[in-house]
Amino acid sequence: MNAGREWELPPARSLVALWRLRPAHIFSRSLWPLLLALDMAPFPWGEDLLARIFVAKAFVQVRRLREALAWAASHSADRRGRWRLALSCSSYHGRFVARMALVGVRRPEEFRRRVVLEGTERLGTAGRATILLGFHLGPPEAALALRVAGHRLTWVGGWRNSRAWSREAWRPFQGPGELLWAFEGEKFWGSVLYRACRILRKGGTIFISADGAAGREAFRVPVPGGPVVVRSGWLALRRHTGAQVLPVLTHMEDRTQVVTIHPPLPPLDQDLAADQRACREVLGALLEGHVRRFPEQCYTLAFPPAREATRADGRASIQPRQTHGLSIGKTT
Amino acid sequence: MTEDPILLRVKDIVVRVAGPERTPEGGGPDTPLGEAGFWLDSTDLLEVILACEEDFGISFDAGEDLTAEALSTVRSLAEMIRSRAST
Repeated sequence: MNAGREWELPPARSLVALWRLRPAHIFSRSLWPLLLALDMAPFPWGEDLLARIFVAKAFVQVRRLREALAWAASHSADRRGRWRLALSCSSYHGRFVARMALVGVRRPEEFRRRVVLEGTERLGTAGRATILLGFHLGPPEAALALRVAGHRLTWVGGWRNSRAWSREAWRPFQGPGELLWAFEGEKFWGSVLYRACRILRKGGTIFISADGAAGREAFRVPVPGGPVVVRSGWLALRRHTGAQVLPVLTHMEDRTQVVTIHPPLPPLDQDLAADQRACREVLGALLEGHVRRFPEQCYTLAFPPAREATRADGRASIQPRQTHGLSIGKTT
Repeated sequence: MTEDPILLRVKDIVVRVAGPERTPEGGGPDTPLGEAGFWLDSTDLLEVILACEEDFGISFDAGEDLTAEALSTVRSLAEMIRSRAST
């Protein structure tokens, strides 16, 4: 039986190779082997276990617990509600880290079975340049959910790796037309944005995060316990290509990931300040509604991924946490 | 001595994107495009790349041309454009 064979430990040679292929900007040295080990269990055991580990960790790393409680105070007035929300957020964080590494998910079909897509009719006709704009306010892999469902798009983001990625079944999702990976550094991102621009000019579709750790801040969207810092990369792509922008939000309902494609942002305004205002207004209403509805899943608000620092030129830059952060960038 | 016209045009583009606030005093061909130089971020680099394409009437190969080395300084960018234009 295939499933039995997949339970076996992978050859030591591949484990060593996987150890070396740790995406250091995402997973810490302690978390990476844990993810590799948990991956041997069938879904969702590994995910459930990691969720519990993250809750336990909140009691070990008091700073994390303080952060979560402080954030929960903006959603719940009573003490019990704040604790429940803080711990639930820690649990979801563990679950989402497991999902980011596709822990226990052997084949794309298994992933597809646990995803519901809403608003896909908005993807429209082929040949229309489209930017799918994601946010770190829920489970990861919204782009992958769309891709396994058969929607053609190129994911634009930071390089990542997992045990699942080394499996043959996931290879078709790692072709050059499927992923635009950026390694750390502005130079790589400049090149990646250029490639994304080329795809859009040919009428393609890309998926890019608005609120990642990289890039210049465009504006902030106030939400309870926020704000959400929106970066400028997608705005530049929209300006240079005239692509339509469809915000994409995602949340968990029990073990099912619901991915919702929302109506397009207003058409491009040649007045850039007015254009940003219009985008911020629409995104503000959308994100506030989402955060109020699923506060326990907005782990990047509870555990901010990075702190702003002032660069020599006076502009803000992102300083990802290096060792203890629980963030988009570094997870320990 | 006459300055390299490609270098001058690339520098003009970089200075235009960086603006006067970020253009360092005495910034030259070997001034870094990023940190401790013109402080161009990824969005600025996209602007520079697209402006160079338009200005020089060329099309870049993102994989081959737009390497970290090529995007290091005004000079390295100009050299890359020169090699692209000659192919």
